[in-house]
Amino acid sequence: MSGGIIDPTKSRSTVTAAGTDASRPEQLRDLRVGLLENGKRNAAQVLDAVGHVLAERHGTGPLVPLIKKQFAMPLPDDLVDELLAGCDVVVIGVGDCGSCSASAVADGIRLEQAGLPAAVICTDAFETTSQAMAELKGDQAYPFILTEHPIANLTGEQIAQRAGGLAERVAERLLVGRPASEAA
Amino acid sequence: MSSPVTSELEPATAGHVSEYLFERGWSDGLPLVPATEESVQAFLVHTSRDEDEIVARLPQLDREATVRDLAVHAVMAGCRPEYFPVVLAAWDALSAERSALGGGWQSTSGPAPFVIVNGPIRAELGINSTGGVLGPGFRPNATIPRAIGLTVRNSFRVIPHALEQATQGLPGRWTMLIGEDEEHSPWEPLSVDGGLPAGADSVTATLVRTCEFVDNRHFSDPEEVLRDFADTLSRSGSWIFRHSSAAIVLNPDHARVFAEAGMDKQDVREWIVGHASKTEAELAAVGKGLSGQLPDGPFAPDHVHPVFADARPANLPIIVAGSRNAAMSMVVRIFSTWSGRSFPIR
Repeated sequence: MSGGIIDPTKSRSTVTAAGTDASRPEQLRDLRVGLLENGKRNAAQVLDAVGHVLAERHGTGPLVPLIKKQFAMPLPDDLVDELLAGCDVVVIGVGDCGSCSASAVADGIRLEQAGLPAAVICTDAFETTSQAMAELKGDQAYPFILTEHPIANLTGEQIAQRAGGLAERVAERLLVGRPASEAA
Repeated sequence: MSSPVTSELEPATAGHVSEYLFERGWSDGLPLVPATEESVQAFLVHTSRDEDEIVARLPQLDREATVRDLAVHAVMAGCRPEYFPVVLAAWDALSAERSALGGGWQSTSGPAPFVIVNGPIRAELGINSTGGVLGPGFRPNATIPRAIGLTVRNSFRVIPHALEQATQGLPGRWTMLIGEDEEHSPWEPLSVDGGLPAGADSVTATLVRTCEFVDNRHFSDPEEVLRDFADTLSRSGSWIFRHSSAAIVLNPDHARVFAEAGMDKQDVREWIVGHASKTEAELAAVGKGLSGQLPDGPFAPDHVHPVFADARPANLPIIVAGSRNAAMSMVVRIFSTWSGRSFPIR
């Protein structure tokens, strides 16, 4: 029956090949930590708090805050270059909207492919769209870190609390990469 | 496409085909027309553009759609072949929209493409611009925007509950196409505001969030009607950023009253832009005070925040459409911004 019916999903597409993670550092001590925030409310505050916990607990080097101005779009090449030149690892987030969560995952995958270990934080309300982007990028098992939604209305104190738990998961992602059972 | 006599139709087969298209996951929830090489070719003859030209893009997903892809979806949506140039121009227009490129299709806001057609092609294709202009019953009005939605679904693969994250969505997401009732408008058409000559067949499109009616039939002074628009436009629920944009689908009778009072379209726009506002205290009362959000804050409680950044047509496009049978107009909330450009149908 389907012989003459055109499949409309066979569109031109330039989906990138399956990605692998960058190699992991042995420790975070003295490493430059990029904090790539997306301009969403409280995103910079959460990343900054995570960065400071990493510094306290892991002795990381300078924090390098950067902003992705168009949160839904792919990272511009000059920002990728800046991240590669100025950071040893990067924390990306916080994906807390329909387009910016998926985009954060895409950015993480791109930076891993370019050799920069990245930890991506999204809120749990956007798990499905984050996962959909990982699959679209050919990396179904790409690990992103979920935190409780929402974050936009957290107080400074609540952000500090949240950052304590998040920092350990960020450190694990940056150091270990993928849990053994999920590794390719 | 010739119409066969009823006895030649095969309703059972049509039902099976319809079910097959549902099962493949290609549908927006309503039955589809199957696209075949023959039917797609019938659409492609209505354009001189190369079938491999890329017209629609979603760079963050590495997705794109060609002229041919758009024809496939126009067939599936139930368009007639001669509508196809309008579909193409609608994508030309949407491809100039920052919001459509920048994540609008995936957004929690779930915005709809709002497509406005100007020029003689409205009559040629039977595009409704009068009574029930935003409602059902007119094939081009219903199927052209549906073709846009099917392209988003199947070419971009932006599908609800996955890459499409609409919180509640909005009614009629893929049904908002209107003609401007140029014949009953006292002013130049929208396409002139969009940079094209009057009389040009053209499409204007942007993403929008919702419609809100302004029912004002018993006025005695045009300023009362303007004040009613300003009130609707300044409601706090839709206030997200410092400024916002909105369109007005203006009833021909409201337009007539303004014109008789000596106002042109820009006069109307400037009046409304000058009167649509909220104070810092009013916004703060609903938890939306701008004092902590903007670099030039904090603001005194009686500080007036205008809804609109300025009175350019791009921030408050006005389209005359609908029936004169009752003086009701519609405010349409623009998602983000409109490029301010209209696009020729070629």
